[in-house]
Formats: sequence, structure tokens, C-alpha cells
Amino acid sequence: MFYSTRSKLIASFLGVSLLVGGVSLFIGGQLLYKAVLSEATNRVRLDLNAASEIYQNRIENVKTALSITTLGLGFRSKLKRQDSQELFNRIRRVALHANLDFAGVTTSDDKLLCRIGANPLSHDAPQPVNPLASLALEGPGIVAGTMILSTEMLAAEDPELAYRARIRLLATPRAAPRAEKMETSGMALCAAIPVLEEGKILGIIYGGVLLNRSKDIVDTVRDTVFQQEIYKGHSIGTATIFQNDLRISTNVLTPDGKRAIGTRVSKEVKERVLDKGERWTDRAFVVSDWYITAYEPIEDIFGERVGMLYVGVLEATYADMRRKALTILVLITLAGMALAIGLGYVLAHKIMSPVHRLIRASQQVSEGNLSPEIGPQSKDEIGVLQNTFKDMLVSLEERDRHRRAEAENRLLQSEKQASIGRLAAGVAHEINNPLTGVLTFTRILLRSKDIGDKNLSHLQKIAESTVRVKNIVKGLLDFSRQTDLDREPTEINRLIRAVISAMENQALIKGVSIQFNSGEDLPMLTLDRNQLQSVLVNLIINALDAMEHGGNIMISTGISLSASDTGKKGVEIAVTDTGCGISPEDLDKLFEPFFTTKEVGKGTGLGLAVSYGIVQRHGGTVRVQSEVGRGSTFTIWLPVEEQSGKDEDIGS
Amino acid sequence: MRILVVDDEDIVLESCQAVFELEGFEALLVPSADKALGAMKNNDFDLLLIDVKMPKKDGMYLMRKIKEQWPDIPIIVMSGYYTTETIQEAIRMGAATFIAKPFEPDELIKIVRQVIEKEERHGKKESPRN
Ligand SMILES: Nc1ncnc2c1ncn2[C@@H]1O[C@H](COP(=O)(O)OP(=O)(O)O)[C@@H](O)[C@H]1O
Ligand SMILES: [Mg+2]
Repeated sequence: MFYSTRSKLIASFLGVSLLVGGVSLFIGGQLLYKAVLSEATNRVRLDLNAASEIYQNRIENVKTALSITTLGLGFRSKLKRQDSQELFNRIRRVALHANLDFAGVTTSDDKLLCRIGANPLSHDAPQPVNPLASLALEGPGIVAGTMILSTEMLAAEDPELAYRARIRLLATPRAAPRAEKMETSGMALCAAIPVLEEGKILGIIYGGVLLNRSKDIVDTVRDTVFQQEIYKGHSIGTATIFQNDLRISTNVLTPDGKRAIGTRVSKEVKERVLDKGERWTDRAFVVSDWYITAYEPIEDIFGERVGMLYVGVLEATYADMRRKALTILVLITLAGMALAIGLGYVLAHKIMSPVHRLIRASQQVSEGNLSPEIGPQSKDEIGVLQNTFKDMLVSLEERDRHRRAEAENRLLQSEKQASIGRLAAGVAHEINNPLTGVLTFTRILLRSKDIGDKNLSHLQKIAESTVRVKNIVKGLLDFSRQTDLDREPTEINRLIRAVISAMENQALIKGVSIQFNSGEDLPMLTLDRNQLQSVLVNLIINALDAMEHGGNIMISTGISLSASDTGKKGVEIAVTDTGCGISPEDLDKLFEPFFTTKEVGKGTGLGLAVSYGIVQRHGGTVRVQSEVGRGSTFTIWLPVEEQSGKDEDIGS
Repeated sequence: MRILVVDDEDIVLESCQAVFELEGFEALLVPSADKALGAMKNNDFDLLLIDVKMPKKDGMYLMRKIKEQWPDIPIIVMSGYYTTETIQEAIRMGAATFIAKPFEPDELIKIVRQVIEKEERHGKKESPRN
């Protein structure tokens, strides 16, 4: 019991801390992660802006480089003269400086003058003209931006470029299905600038950068925007340029560490960004990992969406942050639980130890030790319990003492009775035989006519005395004779009425009235009617004797619980008189055999002693209340059910 | 009317004789159970008056013996010390009635007459005795 209370206490503490810990773990983890995620998403969105800036800058770069070339000394005159060789030298220099992959000059009638590519000009077949140049011619004006170039065009510019642009499509999970196996066209950043003189176009200079397989822009983005942050050997930041949904320039790596060129974007992203032209910022599955990503569409110079720009941050870094935070939360919860166990243990001990002491004390009490060790007084509810326990001990002790005294008294009483019984038996036997002689011969003498008046009166005195002796001995015998009870179910009110009607004459002579206040619905009692009748007769005679000048005897019956025997149900018979009363010092001796205050010859002092024995053998009690000069009440209590044992032990 | 009185105390025997004499009854007095049985063999009695408590063989023993051989003779049992049980046992063994010592002469005579009358009513219906 002791330990189970302790474990209950600890369990509830644990439960609370687990609950609080769990909830905070869940909410904390979730909220924290959301916050971190939205922070990360914001960052990636900004990063995408930066990447976009870098992308646009690169276009601007190309444009500026070409523009400056047109301003170069003699460029115009050379163009006018269509000096291919000189123009070639110049654009080759520019291309070298500005890192252009292709560049060329066309005439105002859209014929190619020169280009820097490895494909030398041949005069056998007309050279295809870059559509960019044609566009600038039609414009007229500067054209700059993104453009898709066919493989033929690329080959015309430089076979090397056509080769670079060829990208095999790799199977990518989550990508939208695509029929072709190979991308042959290329995506380029390019610009075309018309060279004007007095409003007339002399020619077009154009150039550009092929994005396919280029590391330039994406690595610039990675290195400037993400500043080469590394997580587990990977750069946390990545950037990609898509042609359509195909990665053509990227620093996202495949699991085997190569750039993931040829893999494709997930279908979801493609639909949102390419098809609908929206931005995307969210976590997304990129190649083989989860990233927090941002995508935006890339439009070519015709305003068509031809690709996407992407930046992304490895989610694992944030997941790692979350894991760290969660670990801390778990640790805090565990610490809380440990504290709960400790606290529960200490508290349980503090609460339970006085209880435990009380339990031990009550065990001692049950073993008969009525003054067990209870331990120091507590100030709380346990203290109240301790006090109650002490009170209980005191009353237990009192009851014990009371019972013992009662038992001793009873023993004494029955011993006394037994010895008197033995004495009476002997005396009666010895006395009654000679008494028979005295009585017989006295009566015979009294019958003879010739003894004289004086002798007659002497003889009468002898006879009277003998009768007195006879009565005393009879009383003694009655007292000592502890006969078995001859019980039968009895209506007590009827029995009392019978006794009263037998006694009424005697009472009338003394001028005393007897009243009976009979209780209703009394249970039947199993009694020895004769013996109880003699008890009642004796009580009434005593009452009559106590009243010299008339008065009242009141007899009443009713249901009552026993005062001594733990509330046992029974019937009470009270006989109240308005007689002389009994002095307090006599009250104690009333039930002793031979105690009488009546004049010699009138009382034997055995009536109450005998009555007491009879009532006791019925399992009942007799009580007296009296006030000198006012009267007395004798109350007999009889149990409803027959008492076990008692009477049989004493009887016979 | 012949009555056998059995008691170990002379004064009781003498008292009974005095009472019965006045009444004209004939009484034979014996002090013990054995003597009583002897007297029974040689005499006819109308009634027995027996004390319960006697040394050696008591009234109960005597009564049992008498009832074995002379079951029809009425017996009155007397005692100076008695309990309900002794009275009940005596009646059960065939005693006609019980009288407590000390008794008044009138009381004794009255009881004896009652028993005899009852016995005679009984006896007339049954076979008459010699
Ligand atoms: N109702 C009573 N009023 C006053 N005294 C009483 C009453 N009943 C009993 N006593 C006292 O108790 C004594 C003992 O009574 P009891 O045992 O009946 O013997 P006895 O009646 O022979 O004297 C009486 O002598 C009397 O002094
Ligand atoms: Mg009395």
C-alpha cells in the first residue's frame, strides 16, 4: 500500500511532465520548424532575386561589350568597306574579353560578314545568318536577352557549340514525361546591336553566351549568394538554369557527385512555373534531396517562357537545426521527468512516512498494544488523522478498562453467588429438618385445648419465629438455586398487566395506585415467565414498602438500545415509585444478598439479589436511579434476541 | 391407611408420625433405603413418604427400586433442599408429588389425602387390590 501510493504519485508526476514535454516537443518542434522554414523560404526568395540580377547582368555584359565595339575607331569604316578580316579580328578580341561563345557581323542586307566560330567562311554555300542579327535588322534597334538556338544555327556558329548543347535527357523521378531522348538546341544569352550612320543601318554586330553546360552564372550565384557555405561536403546553396524543364547549367549534384545536367524538374514545378508563369517558393525534391527552393520563369526575347532560373538551399541544414532544437527539448523533458521522479519519491516519502507510522501503530493496536509509537506530530491533514487516532486509542483504552472492570465485577459477583449457594444448600438441609420438627410439634401443641392462654401465646410466638426462619431459609434457597431458564415467547406488556392485577389489592390497602404506560409495537421476548414475574413482583413490593403514606407506582415499557452492549436492540421496563428513595451510599449495596434496610422479619435482603441474577441470566441489565425523599426508578433492560452462553454457564 | 416414612433424621420421622397419628393414619418409620425395602417385603402400604437426601442410598435410588417391584404404590417425595430439576426428576420417576421441608402439619395431611383420593379413583377403575 505504501509503495503503491508512492508509485502512483510518481506516475502522475511523470504523466504531467510527459504530457507537458510531449506537447511542447510537438508544438515547439512544429512551430519552430515552420518559423525556420518560412525564414528559409524568404531567404531563398531573396536569393532568387539576386540570381536573377546576376543573370540579367550577364546579358547586360554582352550587350555592353558589343556596344563598345561598335564605338571603336575605324569599326564603322571597316564595316562600310566590308573588311571581313579586320572585323573578325576586332570581334575576336571582344569575344575574348567578354567571354562570348559566339559573335559575328552581318551586313545591312542580312548577309554574314564574319563570325568568330571555328567554322571558316566558305564562299561555296551561303552561310546561315543568326536570327538574332536578322531580328536587330528588322527592329530596328538593340536586341538583348535569352534565346533558343537550333543545333544547325549553333553548328553554323561553331560546331563545338552544337556539340556542347547536346544534352541527353536523364530519367528523373517526379519529372513530367517527355518523348525525346536528347536536347539538341541550346539556350543562349545574347545581344545584337545595329551599327548606324546617319539613320542608316550599316550592319549588325551580335554575340552571346551559350548557357548549356556553362558553369559561369550558376557558380557565380552559388559563390556570391551562398558564400560557399558547406554542409556535409555539399554546398548548401545551389543554382540552376533550365532550358524548358531540363537542367542545362547547374551546380546541383547527382548522388555520384556530378553536376546534374540532363535531369529534369519535377512535374509540379514545371506546371506552375513554365506553364503558368508563376514563381515557386517551397520545399521541393531536387534530383535526389529535399531543398527549399525558388523558381522563376525565363522568357526569351520574344516573350516566350523558354526556361527557368532556380536557387535552392539544402533542407537538411534546417532539418538539422530542428533536430538540434528537438534534442534540446527532449533533454529538457527528460530532465523534467527525472525531476518528477525525484520529487515524487521525496514527496511520497514525506507524505507517506507518517501514514506508514500510523499503519504500523494500528497494527500494534490490533496486536493488543494500546500505546504504540505514532511518530512526530504532522501539521497537515495527517496531523488531524494522528489526533483522531490518539483519541481513538484513548477511548479504546477506556472501553478496555471499563470492560475489564465489568468482567471482574461479574466474576466476583458470580463467585460470591456460588459460595453463598453452597452455604445455603448446606444450611438449608441442616436447618430444614429440625425446623420441620419445631413447626410440627408447635402446631400440634397449639391444637391441644388444655395449655392455658399464656402458653398458647408463647407457642404462637414460637410458630411465628419458625415461619420467619423458614422464610429466610427459603429466600436463601431461592437465591442460591440458579435454575435453568424455562423460556417461552412472551408478550411483555401482558405479563406486566397480569402482575399488576395480582398486586393491585395489596397496593389498594396501602393507598397506592399502580399505572401502566405500555409501549407500542414491542417485539416478543423469550423469557422464563415465572422468574421474570417474581422479579416484577419483588420490584413492586419494594416500591410499596418504600411508600408509607400512599403514592404512585408507574410502570412503563418501550424499545431501547443497550447502553453497554454496543447498541443491541431490546426492551426496557421501568418501575418508578414516589417513595422514600435510596441514599447514595446504599445504592452500591442494593444488589448484594442480605442487604436490607427493612425491619427484622420484614425483609430478607435477597429480593434484588435474586432479581439481578434472573435478569442477568436473560442477558439483560438492571439500573437504578433514585433521589432521597422523591422516589426511585428501577429499569430492567432485556435483549430482543436470546443472549448466547451467559445463562447456560451460570445456570443449573 | 398405612404409610411408610423414610428419612435419615429421627426428628422428621417423629414429626410425621405425630401428624399421621392425630389423623388416624398408621405410620411405619425407617431410617434408610435398605430398611425401607425390607419393610416393603413384609408389609402392605398405601403410601410412601421418602426423603430425597439420605446418606449412602438416597431417595431416588429407593424410589427406583420400589417402582421396579411395586409400581402401583404412590410415593410422595420430600426435601429440605431442592431445585426445579430434583422435583422434575422425582415426578418423572413416578413420584405422585413433592413437598418441601419444613411443612405445616395441615399441608402434609392435605397432600397425603389428595394423593390417596387420586389413587383410589385410579385403583377402582383398575383391578382391586387385597
Ligand atoms: N423502590 C425502593 N425504594 C426505596 N428503597 C428500595 C426500593 N427497592 C429496594 N430498596 C432498598 O433495597 C433494599 C434491598 O431490597 P431487596 O433486595 O428487595 O430486599 P428486601 O426487600 O427484602 O429488603 C431494601 O431493603 C430497600 O432498602
Ligand atoms: Mg424485597
